[in-house]
Amino acid sequence: MIQLTNITKEFGQKLAVRDVSFTAGTGEIIGFLGPNGAGKTTTMRLLLGILTPTRGSVKVLGRNPGENRVGVVRDTGYLPENNPLYPEMKVREYLGFIAGVRRKPIPEDLAANVGIDDVLDVRIEELSRGYKQRVGLAAALIGDPKLIILDEPTSGLDPIEQDRIKNLIRTVAKDKTVIFSTHILSEVEDIASRLIIINRGEIVYDGKKPAGKGSVEKLFKQLVRKEKK
Amino acid sequence: MKALYFKELGYYLKNPIGYIVVVLFAVFANFLFLKDIFAIGSASMRPFFDMLPWLFMIFIPAVAMRVFAEERRSNTLETLLTLPVSETQIVLAKFFGVVTIVVLGLSLTLGIPILLTVLSGMAIQEVMVGYLGALLLASLFAAISILFSSLTKNQVVAFLSAALVLFFLVLLNSDFTSNVIPRELLNLLSPLAPVTQYDSFVKGLIDLRAVVYMLSFTALFIGLTVIDLEKRS
Repeated sequence: MIQLTNITKEFGQKLAVRDVSFTAGTGEIIGFLGPNGAGKTTTMRLLLGILTPTRGSVKVLGRNPGENRVGVVRDTGYLPENNPLYPEMKVREYLGFIAGVRRKPIPEDLAANVGIDDVLDVRIEELSRGYKQRVGLAAALIGDPKLIILDEPTSGLDPIEQDRIKNLIRTVAKDKTVIFSTHILSEVEDIASRLIIINRGEIVYDGKKPAGKGSVEKLFKQLVRKEKK
Repeated sequence: MKALYFKELGYYLKNPIGYIVVVLFAVFANFLFLKDIFAIGSASMRPFFDMLPWLFMIFIPAVAMRVFAEERRSNTLETLLTLPVSETQIVLAKFFGVVTIVVLGLSLTLGIPILLTVLSGMAIQEVMVGYLGALLLASLFAAISILFSSLTKNQVVAFLSAALVLFFLVLLNSDFTSNVIPRELLNLLSPLAPVTQYDSFVKGLIDLRAVVYMLSFTALFIGLTVIDLEKRS
């Protein structure tokens, strides 16, 4: 599904990610962890072809996103960081727009599953942050994508909203690959099947999620602190 | 691309700003022409078509300023780029959205030629050619304005820079310029001015060279916007 090989991305003099390699297959829920500015969003953008790597190769769904962005995003759902939406649109209209561009119908149960069926005729600018996040997630699920990339999907949400989003990710992930970035370590414990930790643009851990409550946090702090020294 | 086009159009049609800009254009265009029509004393649309580039210079950047600047400011460009549409389709959808609004504005001026044709028997073919020229000129100005919108996150900067460039392009074919610029330089620059090409339509002539000029330069500026979008990603 995903194959990153020795990816390096530089923005002028600034190195965003260095020599990043990993693969991901169907059914995996990958928690992508890292402190701010570690390179999580850059890596996700490289997977989507919004950015092209300075060095290395990216294959997503058998395609090179740098050369065939449209082909890759056709089968990929993406929830960007800060979830940019069109505030002047109503929720129904926005989902209709995404479905129209994807040339796919809106699944009948999507709004109910995501919990936005009561706000379909409300303008996005009038929604709470939690609802906006759910609208973004619903948009990412239109077209039954094989790969779902979620950049901090629960950022800024209250615990109840977080639980709802986590349950949703679990539900949709069965026959797909999900990569989600987060700062909330317990979230990775709850839903991820695999953990990748990135720090200062380099992958410092890629493996199974450690067992036991608080173990992810312990591992994360250990690795990131070690790197900082 | 259809969904993107309707999203663009929807923004103007569901937003008061779209109607305000279109109505303002129609009011100015109709008023500026009608106020002199009796002084001129002849049934001709020439003064109307001569005035249009000056109105387009303000009206079109005002319509186009948000198309990319706002997407960049609010980060929704990232949303667009993660949908299965190419950069060319994104730019074309926005271009046709702007052109549709211009056509809407121009259609609100059709009352004048209809009235003149009925009252004075003015040749309608000449007027139709004039409107074709206006549409081609508007398309070129829209492509230029969209390029400037893609270069910044700030709508005001996009508007002012596009209006300034269009002002100089319109000025190239004015009496003022012919009095100020040396004749040799004017002879060199004048054929490059969009309004020089537009003038043949105003005279009621469809000059193939003018059509090719308008379409080529429109395509050029659309292409530059596509390149800018691809480069930034």
